[in-house]
Amino acid sequence: MGLKSERSVFLIFKISKLLCYSPETLTTNTSTEGEGESEGAKMVKFLKPNKAVIVLQGRYAGRKAVIVRSFDDGTRDRPYGHCLVAGIKKYPSKVIRKDSTKKAARKSRVKCFVKLVNYRHLMPTRYTLDVDLKDVVSGDCLQSKDKKVSAARETKKRFEERFKTGKNKWFFTKLRF
Amino acid sequence: MVAGKKTKKTHESINNRLALVMKSGKFTLGHKTVLKSLRSSKGKLIIISNNCPPLCKSEIEYYAMLAKVGVHHYNGNNVDLGTACGKYFRVSCLSIIDPGDSDIIKSIPGDQ
Repeated sequence: MGLKSERSVFLIFKISKLLCYSPETLTTNTSTEGEGESEGAKMVKFLKPNKAVIVLQGRYAGRKAVIVRSFDDGTRDRPYGHCLVAGIKKYPSKVIRKDSTKKAARKSRVKCFVKLVNYRHLMPTRYTLDVDLKDVVSGDCLQSKDKKVSAARETKKRFEERFKTGKNKWFFTKLRF
Repeated sequence: MVAGKKTKKTHESINNRLALVMKSGKFTLGHKTVLKSLRSSKGKLIIISNNCPPLCKSEIEYYAMLAKVGVHHYNGNNVDLGTACGKYFRVSCLSIIDPGDSDIIKSIPGDQ
């Protein structure tokens, strides 16, 4: 159990390094002051749909995911803040210029997962991924196995086409930790 | 030096303001609840002691950056911050949810 918590802590450390928001820029009070004094009472809710997050615990620890739907106050079964995320189980490999189209297609495959995750087990990032998954990953898609599989298959399609356009490169690169 | 005097005065004023928040406002102490308040966008100001572990510190700062909430680096360690809060334990980070009668939120981020 101690090993697991160490791993997640190590994960957070690596994440904070890799999110390219160096602590040096944050420790100067002036940078955060500007926002604090201009709008004293305004706080931004940031765990919203389309936010890219990193899963910190469980089987998918270290994987990047997108918030599809958030339940801030929880539900009866889960009386805590949690959200439905769609993430990448297996990242696409690096496609090089030498690869044939068949090989490139094979390398660009993405394996996805859909999961309900507690807010505590997520690390939000400053990135977003606006892929429309609302109709695919709905509230009841985790009720039965085949619904879950079909939802994952559909998100796989959407993720793959987004990967092929070359946008959101950060999301499709594996987080090294 | 003028700068040294100024920091001492503002330091005392931070302590005074914090004491007022403790009396009249709402706050949470501790890393876990600070993150909780940031996630639910309830926190209005975060105060971190100077010996807060760098991992916790950067995590809180990152969340605060996302939530657009000010972070104040308290000029003292967690023992001092605990004393400033009137508690008999150490406080590494605290989040002010409702300042009550205090003007800490308006004055502190602009001060330093």
